[in-house]
Amino acid sequence: MMQSKLNKYGYLFILPFFAVFLTFTVYPIVLTFYYSFTSYSGFGDAAFIGMENYQRLISDDYFWEAFYNTIYIWGINFGFQLGIALLLALLFSDIRLKMKGLSFFRAAFYLPNLITIASVALLFGILLGWHHGTINHLLLDLGLINEPINWLNNPTTARWSVALIGAWMWFGNTFIILMAGISGISNDYFEAALIDGANRLQMFTKITLPLLKPIMLYVLITSLIGGLQIFDLPMLLTDGRGSPQGSLNTMVLYLYNQAFKFNNYGYAAAIAYGLFIITVCFSLITFKAMYRKSVKGE
Amino acid sequence: MGEACMKKVFALLMMALLTLGLAACGDSESGGGDGASSGKKTLTVWSFTDELEPAIETFKEKFDVEVELTIVPIEDYPTRLRPVLESGQGAPDIFTGELAFIKDWIEQGYWETLNQEPYNVDDIEDDYIDYVFELGRNSNGEVKALSWQTTPGGIFYRRSIAQEVFGTDDLAEIGEMFSTRESMLEAGDQLKEAGYRLFPDEGAIRWFAQGQDPQPWVNEDNELNMTEGRLNYFDYAKELREKDLTAFAPEWSPSWFAAMDGPINYNAGWDEVAEEAETEVEVFSYALPTWGLHSVLKENVEETAGDWAVTSGPNPYYWGGTWLGMYSQSENKDLAWEFIKMMTHDEEFLTDWAMETGDVLSYLPVTDKIKDEFSEDFLDGQNNYTFFLEEAQKINPDTVTRYDQQLDSMFGTVVSEYVEGVKTKDEAIAEFYNLVNSSYPDIITPDEQ
Repeated sequence: MMQSKLNKYGYLFILPFFAVFLTFTVYPIVLTFYYSFTSYSGFGDAAFIGMENYQRLISDDYFWEAFYNTIYIWGINFGFQLGIALLLALLFSDIRLKMKGLSFFRAAFYLPNLITIASVALLFGILLGWHHGTINHLLLDLGLINEPINWLNNPTTARWSVALIGAWMWFGNTFIILMAGISGISNDYFEAALIDGANRLQMFTKITLPLLKPIMLYVLITSLIGGLQIFDLPMLLTDGRGSPQGSLNTMVLYLYNQAFKFNNYGYAAAIAYGLFIITVCFSLITFKAMYRKSVKGE
Repeated sequence: MGEACMKKVFALLMMALLTLGLAACGDSESGGGDGASSGKKTLTVWSFTDELEPAIETFKEKFDVEVELTIVPIEDYPTRLRPVLESGQGAPDIFTGELAFIKDWIEQGYWETLNQEPYNVDDIEDDYIDYVFELGRNSNGEVKALSWQTTPGGIFYRRSIAQEVFGTDDLAEIGEMFSTRESMLEAGDQLKEAGYRLFPDEGAIRWFAQGQDPQPWVNEDNELNMTEGRLNYFDYAKELREKDLTAFAPEWSPSWFAAMDGPINYNAGWDEVAEEAETEVEVFSYALPTWGLHSVLKENVEETAGDWAVTSGPNPYYWGGTWLGMYSQSENKDLAWEFIKMMTHDEEFLTDWAMETGDVLSYLPVTDKIKDEFSEDFLDGQNNYTFFLEEAQKINPDTVTRYDQQLDSMFGTVVSEYVEGVKTKDEAIAEFYNLVNSSYPDIITPDEQ
């Protein structure tokens, strides 16, 4: 008797969470799934059209272009983000260097992440301008280029711009996570290695990296899931439809435009599920690859 | 002892906070209750700008009612409004629509039909600028929304530069130079030689993309209209770039605003610098509509105030505009109708409104009375009101479709790809058809016909 009464209270306490979760998360997910089989245009009734949206998705060049762009941008972004964060984390955690001012730098590195993305886009829009941009002005004055470069009008420079701005915004976050991971590694290992005469590189590759693997996996998967959903910077930096030449057309931007600009809600719902499947696949591959390697390593 | 004391203080503090919270709740409730008990009716209005605020103040006094105005930023406006209208929960009595989506919305049942009893707006149809009234009418002939304003565009130019380069700042003569796309380019050449740029950026000419014989983007059979005028526009835009007639200051960018008030810095290449040190450019003209004068030019100009004039371009065009309608399920239709009446055909109110804001009205009985009185100091005394009214009369409402904003934007994208030289004209056109097919599968593009 007593037991069941306690249980009842337990359910009561978790009820608010589940009520909110069911209404605002599960219901939309299910509804989106339903809409993905319709030609819903945002107005009136949704006509059921079976697999048509998914067939279109598979043969839609713009969607695969968006997939390519997304991976391209995320790849560069992640490389720089992790590279810079790892380098800084090593500097700050080196027991021989004993760097000072960690809390200051930690805050400073994290700061770009706190600026609203709209401000970031505006700022870089001005910096990267063509005939009036600050960066071109600087490069011309230094004599490094002969004529102003239209950064945001060339597919390669535009993708790199978005990727590097993203890396600048997120490396602080990654740095903090990596620092936490590194400080979780016992100093005994490093001291022992020091006594055995190991150099910095050996200590990094033989001690830090292997023990950091779970944290790196976490960083990789969260960054991947976030990166596959990249939307705001490409949306704000150019015309909002992926210019120049569709190079900033990412999957979520394409979804957004299909839904809210062109009112193809049904098709947009199918894109959302396409994105979901891709995200799951990527996460599984990453997880499998990392897990197998670490088993082999041991 | 210390700890117990702390606990007491903490408990007291919590109690104080709780009471404060409750009191605050009580306040707001009684506040709402007062409004209801005094018998004042409440009209709810949704819009995407604050431009209605002064009108609402007048309305409140005149009818002794409460008005709740909800302003939703334009980016979120359709997405926020739609579910409210679908469900009817918390739906406004009146909501506005912008040109960008009005064609979609009038086809839905959200707005009350106004050309039926008791509103009968067809009776006053002749009192309005043609295109403004027609844009509120849907494919079944039902009028769903009205507008008090008209927003035709023109070309604003700098008088002093005109004097220097062309020897005249006369409206008719400059208008003549801008009367075709070809003569506009010639004027651009002359300006370039004198060290000026025709337009701040290439986007400024998009209003003249249709050429002399404007056709809607999509015809009755849902076929895309790739007219001769639109095809020629590719070459025209390319020429503008090759002759280097603009200052490359993109619309709404800081340099675009700065160029209104005098010369701006310019990153020229070294090749050019070697020939002639040109690190600054000055812009001659801007293509802007009625509201561009008050909300853009006047707001951003100090030095060049009084040095401007406005004349017509190669073809009449309009840009933006706000329409007004009442929710079909509203329980406050009488009051809502009063507000719409005041906003769109109350002579006394509209006269005051026009005098105060300079808004160019679409209601002719008022504009006929007041148009001759206008003299704009910013335009060196020019009567821009009469000018814009004449431009508005030239606009043909039949060329507007629900696709315009997005199709114009896609068309601009492929044209600039051609101008940049990354695509040939044929490739750019093919890309345009692909984009259209992807966004609007229902439209039949010429390559499918």
